[in-house]
Amino acid sequence: MKKALYALALLFNCFYSSFTFADGVVVDKVYHPYVLPNEKEVEWRLLSHQTDNTNDLAQRFAYGQSVFDNMMVELYIVGERDVDGNFGVSAYEIETRWMLTEQGEYWADWGMLFEVEKEHNKDSWEVTSGLLFEKEIGRTSLSINAFLIYEWGNDIQNEIEMEFRAQYRYRWLPQFQPAIELYSGEDYVGIGPAFMGIQRFAGQKQLKWELGFITGLNGKSKDHILRVAIEYEF
Amino acid sequence: MKLCSVFIKKISIISLFMSLILSLNVWAKRVEYIVELKDHLFSPSVIKIPANEKIKLIIYNRDTTPEEFDSFDLNREKVIFPNKKAVIFIGPLPEGKYQFFGEFNPNSAKGTIVVTSTPERNKRVKPLQENKPGGA
Repeated sequence: MKKALYALALLFNCFYSSFTFADGVVVDKVYHPYVLPNEKEVEWRLLSHQTDNTNDLAQRFAYGQSVFDNMMVELYIVGERDVDGNFGVSAYEIETRWMLTEQGEYWADWGMLFEVEKEHNKDSWEVTSGLLFEKEIGRTSLSINAFLIYEWGNDIQNEIEMEFRAQYRYRWLPQFQPAIELYSGEDYVGIGPAFMGIQRFAGQKQLKWELGFITGLNGKSKDHILRVAIEYEF
Repeated sequence: MKLCSVFIKKISIISLFMSLILSLNVWAKRVEYIVELKDHLFSPSVIKIPANEKIKLIIYNRDTTPEEFDSFDLNREKVIFPNKKAVIFIGPLPEGKYQFFGEFNPNSAKGTIVVTSTPERNKRVKPLQENKPGGA
């Protein structure tokens, strides 16, 4: 485990110095490196991106379940509004989250994420691998995601991207936890407040919600993103 | 772009630093506290642990049904399978009381971690039989 983490850290430095970046909105969700066994979930995410010239809308519907005690697989259908204002399926995705360390055992908690995405009716693929980090600091938690993304296909330019997401959360109440989020990728840096919470029901049933308002910092014009995520675990 | 570069560099430094810390942490011996879950009751239900110190809580589930240790105060969630044990790392925490409960039996399976300067270091419940690890 120790060697693997050293390797990952070194790999991370190498990638930073070697690759060029690509365009794209990186705001989505900051992942936590934890998986519980016997967990099943359905999830809905919404992303509304407004600039002076555009008003994009994307939604994700997902089903996930843990396949091992420390691994969860999630299947997504992604829908987007096109230039004519019609909403339709735009992509499919499979994602695996792997909990590498026991929560609280070490100085920080670590996990990994692997993801494959294909655009609907296009020869456009994307594979993502990422490192998930979380550090508990008193009643606050710092979560950081670092992703390396490779895109390829006849309908997309082959390229490698990197993305970073960070969230600093105050665990005030289960139902209401304010946070600040930072997203970074080539040509985009965004920051803004986020709010999230969890409502527990009987057994393993629980409802998680997240709401974030992210403002792009690197453009002169309006660049606002609203993100919503609702997740029901059972 | 400059902000992005600075951010990436910082992440790199943090990740290397954490790997080093992780390697040092492996050698640290944790104080262990043992708790049994039987008939959906934690025993002992009040556990006194030292302030500002990381401890290892080992929970033996003697019931025939799974339980999920849950605590918002402690920021921990852990499934304990029937007739298995689970290890939960807690702390370092400031002095105070931290509630926990079993998600499947919240009315009976509940307890408190009391973080104090006078912990019960040697007061441990001896397990009746050894269980295999089975939590996650």
